[in-house]
Amino acid sequence: MTANVTVSSMYLFTVLLLLFNVYVNSQDTDAQLCQMCEGTIRHDSPVWSFCITKGYVKGHCCFKNNTSDVDTIIGLDLSNCSISHVEHLYNSSTALIIDLSNNPISNLSDYVFQGFSQLTQLLLPSKLECPGGRASWEKVEVKSITRICEGQKNACNQTVQMPLVCPENSLCSPYGPGFFECSCLNNFHGYKCMRQGEFPLVKVLGILTASTVVVSSVLWFTQRRKVKNT
Amino acid sequence: MWPLYTYHHLLTFLLTFFSYVLLHASRKTFSNVKVSISAQWTPSALQQNGTAFTLSPTETWEGNALFADMGEATLFLGALDSIFLFSYAVGLYVSGVIGDRFNLRYVLSFGLCGSAITEFVFGTLTEWLHFYNVYLYCVLWVINGLLQSTVWPCVVAIMGNWFGKSGRGFVFGLWSACASVGNILGAFLASSVLKYGYEYAFLVTSVVQFAGGVVVFFGLLTSPKEIGLNDYFETGLRPVTRDSDSQRPLMSDEEDELTDEYSSIQQQDEEPQPQPQPRAIGFFQAFCLPGVLPYSLAYACLKLVNYSFFFWLPFYLSKNFGWKEVEADRLSVWYDVGGIIGGTVQGLISDLLGKRAPVLAISLLLAMGSLVGYSHSPNNQLVNGALLATTGFLIGGPSNMISSAISADLGRQEALHNSQQALATVTGIVDGTGSIGAAGGQYLVSLIESKLGWMCVFYFFIIMTGCSVLFIIPLLFREIQSLCRDRQARTLQL
Repeated sequence: MTANVTVSSMYLFTVLLLLFNVYVNSQDTDAQLCQMCEGTIRHDSPVWSFCITKGYVKGHCCFKNNTSDVDTIIGLDLSNCSISHVEHLYNSSTALIIDLSNNPISNLSDYVFQGFSQLTQLLLPSKLECPGGRASWEKVEVKSITRICEGQKNACNQTVQMPLVCPENSLCSPYGPGFFECSCLNNFHGYKCMRQGEFPLVKVLGILTASTVVVSSVLWFTQRRKVKNT
Repeated sequence: MWPLYTYHHLLTFLLTFFSYVLLHASRKTFSNVKVSISAQWTPSALQQNGTAFTLSPTETWEGNALFADMGEATLFLGALDSIFLFSYAVGLYVSGVIGDRFNLRYVLSFGLCGSAITEFVFGTLTEWLHFYNVYLYCVLWVINGLLQSTVWPCVVAIMGNWFGKSGRGFVFGLWSACASVGNILGAFLASSVLKYGYEYAFLVTSVVQFAGGVVVFFGLLTSPKEIGLNDYFETGLRPVTRDSDSQRPLMSDEEDELTDEYSSIQQQDEEPQPQPQPRAIGFFQAFCLPGVLPYSLAYACLKLVNYSFFFWLPFYLSKNFGWKEVEADRLSVWYDVGGIIGGTVQGLISDLLGKRAPVLAISLLLAMGSLVGYSHSPNNQLVNGALLATTGFLIGGPSNMISSAISADLGRQEALHNSQQALATVTGIVDGTGSIGAAGGQYLVSLIESKLGWMCVFYFFIIMTGCSVLFIIPLLFREIQSLCRDRQARTLQL
């Protein structure tokens, strides 16, 4: 029960952060996340070798090439940054690789990585467990002081942990290590995916108005016009 | 025997018919979208192995929490139904009185358009604004009940003005199919737009109802007097009726009540024959009219049974026989069909006989038998449907007749000497008393069912039907007496 409460309160916390996220523009994100500490991505980090082929480096972040106006973070190297605790990772949920090793982080909430569905490689200090537990990753190995979580598993296919049945009109999709989300099927939208298609408002109102005018005037001519004012 | 009808009669029939059809369609819409509304008001509860999971994204699955779960929402919807029925019953008493004092056309249009706007705010606007509030819903539904209650007394009064007593039973029997037609239309409208969201079901029915109010405003003639039709020599129409005074309209539509000075000036100008303007009857005066109280009480018992069938039948069928909800819904239509045919046929018989109480009494006595039969129905849809249609014929028929034809008879009886407007007031009293019975019955049926089981519910129905027969007995004796006197007189003449 208590676990439930903590989970839900943490969840709420994450939601607030996510909402906050929306209002944070990319400049702030750059400043807060990519300039978290001095310097840039270390050359011996796996993020560096990843970024050379896939994008360009800016501060501690790796951005995706040839994206027109939106900066998409695809890699993040915060290793050796003297971070003691991580609350959230702003809008780096598009990242494929994140390095948090060599930091004095004491514990790390699973909810930090909620929504990080692209994440395939995560480097953590060795005393921390992989988010979502061992079962959420293809391979987990410890190299000296670094724990490497590799190959995120799809939470929707893990029937062992919890039988995941999304409600009607929605489909389960991965939502970060150990997380899933129920997104509406094609054509469905709105609260609980209950609505389908767009109501032809103008058409319906137009037809109804026109027929009301016609019927009213016909009836007026045949009926009320004959009213005798006595 | 049959009066000649003009196309004005036909248009009046259709306009009043469809006014009530639209009203009942929007009521049915509300009961058909209940599942969607309660889903909208609650967060989704994904329970597995005893623990609740929260679903992502939260805005889609957990955003609304007006009620914790579907059970609470269903309870609230049930409470809304009771609120509606109660304010509807109270409103009927009031709006009949109003209908007799103001122009019936204005009151009818106002009721239709006003309740359409209320439904729009209730179902569509709150959803568009994502504003969900229990108190707002309650207040809106009370207003809706009051506004909707204006419609029935007005349409019955208008129909009573146009259709004389001789053919009234048959015409009103046919006409009172409007509630059932409204149910079918409402179910159709709701099911065809529900996929866009429940707010559009409300939008469509309320806009159509508003349009109906506009059409009524521009097209309805509240009495033949408005176009001088009661002047039989002018139009060449002379209804051959035994009591031709009932053909004359009681309700005038000259806003005389609104502008007393105006009409008095006009009277001075024209120097007409001193025809007294009909004055509206007082509420208690109407209550004391002969026949009003017995028929009101009889209707209270009968509407209880009738509405219980309307509300509980699909539930009973799927619970008791294990039939699918769709099958149960489809089968329950036969009760409505029986009611329409019953109202028309019994109305016709009562027209030919010239008396209504004997027809009612015989039908209700038979109904008690058919209720016994129905409670022992075998698990066979064909047999059950046939029994259901018979029960509808015997219960729905008299129920339709009291609420329409007999209300019109009572509001234009000889005791009034054509000097008072009583039609809408009397209709309001009869239907209002009936609605109180129906509202109380909904509670009693669920209570009896949960404590004593379905068989006792049927015994309760049989007792209630018996009570309505008891209330009619004094009238029955009087009518049979006068029937015998008529026959004796006729034999003496020959």
